[in-house]
Order: sequence, then structure tokens, then C-alpha cells
Amino acid sequence: MKLSRGAILLLVPGVGILLAFLVLPLANVVEESFRLFEPGRIGAAKDAPYTFFNYAELINFTYLYYFVETARIGFIASIVGLILGFPIAYVIARRFTPMWRKIGVGFLIGIMFLSTLVRVYALQLTFGPTGIAKFLTGLLGVSMNGRFYTELVVILGLLHYLVPIAAITLLGTIQNVNPRLTEAAQALGAPRWMAHFTITIPLCVPGLLSAFLISFTLCLSAFVVPMILGKGKVLFVSNLIYSRFSEIANYPSGSAISIIMLILSLMIIYGVTYLVTTRWIKH
Amino acid sequence: MLQRYIDHFGAWAVVGTILLTVTFLIAPIIVSILMSFDARSYLGRFPPTEFSFHWYARFFSDSYYLTGLKTSLIIAVIAASVSTCAGVCAAIVLDRYDFPGKQALETIFLSPLVIPAVVIGFSLLLFFALIGVFQGYPRLLAGHIIITFPYAVRTTLAGLTGIRKNLTEAAMTLGANERQAFWDVTFPLARTGMVAGAVFAFAFSMDDVAVSLFLTSPQTYTLPVAMVSMMRTNFDLTIAAASVILMLFTIGLIIILDVIVGLERVIGGGVYRS
Repeated sequence: MKLSRGAILLLVPGVGILLAFLVLPLANVVEESFRLFEPGRIGAAKDAPYTFFNYAELINFTYLYYFVETARIGFIASIVGLILGFPIAYVIARRFTPMWRKIGVGFLIGIMFLSTLVRVYALQLTFGPTGIAKFLTGLLGVSMNGRFYTELVVILGLLHYLVPIAAITLLGTIQNVNPRLTEAAQALGAPRWMAHFTITIPLCVPGLLSAFLISFTLCLSAFVVPMILGKGKVLFVSNLIYSRFSEIANYPSGSAISIIMLILSLMIIYGVTYLVTTRWIKH
Repeated sequence: MLQRYIDHFGAWAVVGTILLTVTFLIAPIIVSILMSFDARSYLGRFPPTEFSFHWYARFFSDSYYLTGLKTSLIIAVIAASVSTCAGVCAAIVLDRYDFPGKQALETIFLSPLVIPAVVIGFSLLLFFALIGVFQGYPRLLAGHIIITFPYAVRTTLAGLTGIRKNLTEAAMTLGANERQAFWDVTFPLARTGMVAGAVFAFAFSMDDVAVSLFLTSPQTYTLPVAMVSMMRTNFDLTIAAASVILMLFTIGLIIILDVIVGLERVIGGGVYRS
């Protein structure tokens, strides 16, 4: 149907919400990111001169480090999340009876829907000093307050929601792979592990890629997990933006970091999605 | 022979990994539930030796948490209603009309999903400071509406595209006008998607920390924000009790979702199910 006047009226609330609460605020952030900041103020002065300083400052090693660390930890967590999620999805899709499948899916959705804070607090109790921290650090031979253990707990915190998300995403993929193909490979003499590695997994590549993408973008914007479980030692870019607001009120610098972070996440999401859909899914 | 051993070993390794992963997913939740009933008056080591409800009593007598819970519920209800209404209107247009830039408009409507929450919170903070709004409620509402709006659009759109167009055409052939066809045929069929969207919006509003942390005022804060500040300063188990209460909310929402949509539909059918 062609757009009528009534239809345009229906679009008004949605467009209004986006304009007022997203587009205008983001435009303001772009403007603020070019303002000069004087230490001690809250935000930039109304008539502060324009500058590239807030962006130039980010090329500094200390700031690049936050971006690299976020990407590195996010990458590790996403890959591990896929490795742990795939077998769960496979078993639910292929080995379970309908009743167990429903229980399995309900369990995954339940874990996925769990409030972030509930999750983070539960992990803190379990992997902190009140839980198995002493045992685990003794086993690994590391310090409980050391960088390694903190990073491990942050990765576990990310995995606690990445695993169910990866498993649910892959469930759909695995259900669409014909099991007869894997069986055929086995009938022709391939051992089971080889049949899975040469048939099942390659056929799941589009699903694996999209599950990885979802996981990785979630990691890049993770905020609560590093804030609570990172204990100030492991900080993501989100936490850097928050500290720009809460600790030193340097809004121009926070704006510049926000813009860079926004561009990076949009590039990854739309760029890689485009690549994936044109490369794999269309064929 | 070796191949058989590898298969055997591989199968056990996979089963072991699955069991370990499931334990990792469940154990922390059980730990926090048990700890919330800990009778000790301090944050001791797991497991608790005796059980009591005193952390729950503390939660329900602490005005800091109760104010947070009340604010969270008010914000979540208003934000979910506003986003659902606006989202349903937008989704109807996106589903039924063709116009240039439709695809772009849909991408923009869904864009708050892919913008990091911290960036949304930060930009709203600056924007409200610019226009001189410093009260908690309008700022929190704006933040929660913008993060829940895309869920409302997406689920309604998914519900609408599932309805075959010829049902509406049949109604119109039988003499209904466009408006009647919409209210009598399309709307009842799309209701599931709309309710699911509202449930999602409510859940995400109740859960948000990243956006709310920027937009709270000393008097107006949500329950998750109250919990975060308690986690950083306080070492008692009232937070565990609060967690269990939030978990009950989650379970309630999942049951609602299962009743109105069916959990199976959330993941789709698939062609080759065993």
C-alpha cells in the first residue's frame, strides 16, 4: 500500500521518540566531543573553543590499551562461548525428546533472561572469597587479587550469558542441517568425530558466525560485568566512559570515546553482517 | 581400532564439557539463593550452616531498596506502555505500507539495540543537562523508553509478518472496509506479538543498569542502581535477597512468555528436528 496521511501519523510517535531521545542527544555528543575541556569544570564551557584534542588524546597508549583489552577479552569469551554452547545446542536439537527439549530451551532462556546484576552478584559470591576462590587460585597457582584471576572471573561473567545466547542461536542452525549428511559420512566409513568436523560443523558456519558476532558485540559493550567483577583491575571501554562522567566530569573526552566506540561497534555489526550475508548465506 | 577409541573418548569429553558448562550456569544461582537464607548476620563463607529469612526482612524494611523497587516498577510500566504503543504504530506502517526509505527507517528504529547502552546513557545525560532537565523521573523514562522501543517494534513486526495478507483481503472481499479488516482480523492475530513485545520491554527496563546509572538523581534511582551502589560499599547479603526477588520476576516473565507465545516459537521450528 502507498503511504497515506493516516500512516504518516502512526509513524509520528516512533520517529519523535528516536529524534528526541537518540538522534538529538547523539548529535550533541558529537558537538561536545570537539569542545576544549578545562580541568575542574563539569563538562565544557558553553563557548569553549573547538579542538581535536579529545580525539588526538585517544591515540595515546593508555587509552588504546582499553580498546585492545576490551577486544581481546571479548574475543576470548566469544570463542569459548561458542565452543561451550555448540555441544549443548546439538544435544538439545538432536538427542532430546520433545519434553526434554522444552525443558532445555526453557533453562537456556531462563539463564539468558536472568537480570545482569543477579548474575554478576551470584558469580561474585561463587568465585569470590566467600566461594571457591581459595580453592581455584590454589589449583591454578595464582593470587586471588592478581590480574590473572580477576580476568578469569570477568571472562566467566561474560560466559554466563554468552553460552545460553550462543546455544539458542545455534539451536536454530543445527535444526536446519540435514542429519542424514552426517550419517552418510559415517556409513561411508568416517569415524563419528571426523563426520562432525567435516560435515556438521562446516554446514553450521553461517550460524557459528552470527552467534560469534552477537557474542562479540555484546562483549564490546559489556559494562556491569567488568565494573563489578573486574574490581577496577579489568576495565572495558564502557567503564572508561562512565569514569569520565562520574570521576572527573570530563564530558568532552567522554564524548570522544563514546563516538569512537559507537563507530567501532556499528562498523563491526553492519560491516561484518554484510560480509557474512553476502559471503555465506546467499549461496 | 584407534578411531573407535577417539570416538569413545570424544563422546565422553563432549558429555563432560556439557555437564561442566551446565553446572557452571546453575551453581552460582543456587549459591546465591542459599546464601540469601543464611542465618549468620555477616557475609560468611559458603555454605551457610543455618537458615533464616532475616535478609529478606532487612530488604523489606530498608527504605533504600524499597524506593528503588517502587521507582523501577513505575518506570518499567510507563516505559513499556509508551514503547509498546509507539512500537505497534510504527510496526503496522512498516508491515503494511511501501515507501522509499522503508528499509532504512526500520534499521533506524532497531538501532538502539546495537548502540552500546553506556553511549545512550551518556548522550542522554549531556542532552538533559543542555536543555536544563535534572529531575530523575523524566530522564530515566526517556532512557528506558529508547532502550525498550526496538523490542516492541521487532516483536510486533515479527507477529504481523506472520499473518497472511490474504486473510485481510478475504475480509475486505466479504465487505469489510480497511479499518474493520484491521481491527477484526489483523489486530487479534497480531496481539501475541504485541504482548510479547511489552513483556520484553518490561523485562529489559527492570534489568537496565548502564543507562540508568547516568540518569538517576539522588532521590530517584532504580532497584538495580541501588543494588550496584550497595555492592560497592556494603558487604551483607541483602543483595542476595534482592537477587532472589528479581529472579522470581524473571521466572514470572518466562512463564508469561511461554503461555502467550510458547517457548518453542522463540527458537523456531527448524526443518530437520530429530
